[in-house]
Amino acid sequence: MRKFLIIVLILLMSIFALSKVKIQFWHAMGGWRIDLLKNMAEEFMKQNPDIEVEVQYTGSYRDTLNKLIAAVKAGTPPHVVQIYDIGTQVMIDGDIAVPVQELMNKDPTFDIGKFLRPVLNYYKVNGKFYSMPFNSSNPILYYNKTLFKKAGLDPNKPPRTFEELIEYCRKLTVKDENGNIVQAGITWPLHSWFFEQFMAVQNAPLVDNNNGRTGRPTKAVFNNEAGRRFFRLWYTLSKEGIMINTKKEDWTGARQLFASQKVAMLISSTSDVALAMKLAKENGFELGTAFLPRPKGAESGGVVIGGGSLWIIKGHPKDEIEAAWRFVKWMAEPKQQIRWHEGTGYFPVRKDAVEQLLTSGYYAKYPHHLTALLQLLLSEQNYNTNGAIIGAFPEVREIIETAVERMLNEEMTPEEALKWAEKEATKAIREYNELYQ
Amino acid sequence: MRKTRRRMINTIIVEIILVIFTLIVAMPLFLAITISLQRPELVFSYPPKIFPRGFYVKNYIDAFNLVPLLRLLLNSLIMASMITLGKIITGTLAGYAFANFRFKGKEVSFALLFATLFLPAETVMIVPLFLIMKKFGWVNTYWALTVPFMASATNTFLMRQHFMTIPKELEDAARIDGATPMQYFFKILLPLSKSMIAGASIINFVYAWNMYLWPLVVTMEDKMKTVQIGVKMLIDAESANNWGVIMAGTIVVLFPTLLMFLILQNMFVKSLVRSGLKS
Amino acid sequence: MRKIIPYVLLVPTFLIIGMFIYWPAVYSLRLSTCRLSPFGNRMIFVGFRNFVKLFNNKEYLFSIRVTVLYVLLSVVITIFLSFFIALLLEMKVPGHTIYRMLIFTPYAISPAIAGTLWSFLLNPVVGHVNYLFSKFFGISVDWITSKPYAFYAIVFASVWKTMPFDVIFYLAGLQNIPDDLLEASTLDGANWWTRTWKIIFPLLSPITFYLVIMNIISFMFASFAIVDVMTKGGPGNYTTTMIYRLFLDAFAFQKTGLASAESVVLFVIMAIITFLYFKYAERKVHYQ
Repeated sequence: MRKFLIIVLILLMSIFALSKVKIQFWHAMGGWRIDLLKNMAEEFMKQNPDIEVEVQYTGSYRDTLNKLIAAVKAGTPPHVVQIYDIGTQVMIDGDIAVPVQELMNKDPTFDIGKFLRPVLNYYKVNGKFYSMPFNSSNPILYYNKTLFKKAGLDPNKPPRTFEELIEYCRKLTVKDENGNIVQAGITWPLHSWFFEQFMAVQNAPLVDNNNGRTGRPTKAVFNNEAGRRFFRLWYTLSKEGIMINTKKEDWTGARQLFASQKVAMLISSTSDVALAMKLAKENGFELGTAFLPRPKGAESGGVVIGGGSLWIIKGHPKDEIEAAWRFVKWMAEPKQQIRWHEGTGYFPVRKDAVEQLLTSGYYAKYPHHLTALLQLLLSEQNYNTNGAIIGAFPEVREIIETAVERMLNEEMTPEEALKWAEKEATKAIREYNELYQ
Repeated sequence: MRKTRRRMINTIIVEIILVIFTLIVAMPLFLAITISLQRPELVFSYPPKIFPRGFYVKNYIDAFNLVPLLRLLLNSLIMASMITLGKIITGTLAGYAFANFRFKGKEVSFALLFATLFLPAETVMIVPLFLIMKKFGWVNTYWALTVPFMASATNTFLMRQHFMTIPKELEDAARIDGATPMQYFFKILLPLSKSMIAGASIINFVYAWNMYLWPLVVTMEDKMKTVQIGVKMLIDAESANNWGVIMAGTIVVLFPTLLMFLILQNMFVKSLVRSGLKS
Repeated sequence: MRKIIPYVLLVPTFLIIGMFIYWPAVYSLRLSTCRLSPFGNRMIFVGFRNFVKLFNNKEYLFSIRVTVLYVLLSVVITIFLSFFIALLLEMKVPGHTIYRMLIFTPYAISPAIAGTLWSFLLNPVVGHVNYLFSKFFGISVDWITSKPYAFYAIVFASVWKTMPFDVIFYLAGLQNIPDDLLEASTLDGANWWTRTWKIIFPLLSPITFYLVIMNIISFMFASFAIVDVMTKGGPGNYTTTMIYRLFLDAFAFQKTGLASAESVVLFVIMAIITFLYFKYAERKVHYQ
């Protein structure tokens, strides 16, 4: 009898030893990226046979956040979830995540110093890392060298300042007999992200308390000369008919215009590099990329990281959190970051990954990726370029976009629109803060 | 002679109006089909095309490879069929109660039922509904996808309207013949309601088929997801999209609803009210 | 025995409605008097402040105006258009089954895809509509990013999407009208108009009664998907209806308490409209 019990015990113990720890990973990357992430997860599971990762596409960033909220409230959260950059403060305030800093501190094999400085600076809040940087992007200026040549512009001299930009657009615009635009100078999606970037490029903050980084922001502070310069630029370009505007947050529309050569320049995300290269080839034009232009006389700043990061959620047994950490850590390793970068166009977030790409001759083949990387690395590093941390960021974005639309529709002047946006944004921020007094 | 000529002119006029109207209405569908059958890069070509040149089937193959479409179609089929069945059953029963009976609390209960239409389910109620699913242990099951939607004011109201058009004499005649209310319901009322039920079935099926947010929140595994999530999976918000594949997926997902319509539209048949009265 | 039958008939419906609609509704509606943090870890009771804030908010008041215009225009166009088309389809001219099938498609396409397709078609620079317009009329309209065209685009897309719903039910209703009556009102001379409006339309009034309120509800509550994909409420909140505002507050900004308050407002408005509708409009309906 005793022998039997011992055998049963050993069997049970071996079953438990062999049983895998299961973790759930939710992400918002659609299209072919779903496959890429699934394959990466399978690779991880091969290297870590004691962990099973269930990868799930959970809709857009917004859908994913809402699904997470429902799951958290019902007590069934996932282990790892990808949240957009502007959701950082909301996640921190929700107190539902295990800050990766805690896991980093316990893990001597992990060296955060290997990460790119701008990326680190974005995701370090209150002196610690809450989430693991994963997919980071930047805006760059794409331009059609062929159309430049046609308009008599030097294809190797993209516009460097706002003033040059306006001038170039004037030269690049072609209208037909009825005055309809056949080809315009530039476009970019009507998205607050671009406003935020151009503020950072001029070294100006969006909100107080050092862009929300040394304390909760209490008001918006972007109604200043920097903000006005950009709003005025946007207004001037549109009014003169040398820029085509899209509807809110219409990345596709903007790309469409550049691809069909209806515009000669496009400001969009670096994750579009591969697409831009393909489109240029297929539509028979030469592609050029450049840093974002800066107004003459403005302070020198830089660009801000965009994209998302991976969060580990509380409410799971210790071994599952451990497994989640191992997965998140693995996803941030150079090999995975390079694979992710090559598959998507997001930056590799670490220095050693960049080094590897450099030495393998990658940037010689893809000079446009180099443009983006250089722009990032040559950016000033301060609170303004580290990105704003605002709890009510989604609402602030919507306010800014509405202000731009009203300005473009001549309901408000650029100055009025900016002032209105700042006022409303401050209201939204104050309202958000009320819950955390 | 004159009458037939007039008839021919009328037919031609009607035909022309319908052709133009249908073309305008179906433009998006044609566009979707065109994009799905073209090489993805051609989506942004100018001048824009509305009819496909060539037959680029790879988009469809890619769509099936990228997303487990067959499984999703099955899930949606089960979900939509169950919801439709549930709604028709509860709707006809309740509509019968409201149309043919007098009872205490009739107005109040109708008002209560109707009021459910003013509660935007997909917006404010996702979280509490999810909590209930958790409590019942229905998360990630077909139950969660179907049961909460098996009753509806729309269906009840519709059947009530329809039943109220059936002449009272029919009911009286049936009672005289010794039929119980339920016998009247099954043997006479329902057969007379074929076209309404067909119409309601199509509507219910499509409503269930097009649900996105609730299935997204309540499913936790790829094998439980539904078709609209599948289509969304093909779309990538931030980066460039392969519109060819997206539209291919869309057409595949659209297909069953159109098929359902074809099947059910045969039920748009004349009912036998007049003849029923005579007998 | 006959006395309990109606109650029994109602049990399945009310069981489901009670558990899955009313309970969640009560749960969220009571949040309208609170402010809740996105993840629910902070909650403060604020009484009626959410409501006061709403009605003092210029944007919200503007959205009420947008909603009224939008719903009115859409309902009227949809009802009359659908009725007309259903009549034409019922004449069973050659090919009518194909037309019927194609006319059904807008309803079958999900709002998100419908919005995307219309965005392609209405793209001001590379879209098909403007291509045709510029070829035939020499003009190019900024459909989505300019006032007032964005509003028309939304109305158009909404009518387009809802029209099949009405057509289906008008068709179903027309099945119950004897052929000789329908024959008499084919496009046959000047009397067609009178016959259609004096005979057919009244006979279909139970359906119309159903469709008008259903359309109102549909445009009030279901339109946010189309707005979100086509204009995102723009330009400058010009096409932001009340339900779109609610959708934003609930899902984009996670302002749960405020969204609940907005639901309450919508609920009350609809309850009033429906009460008046059933009280006064039902009189005009001809049942048998």
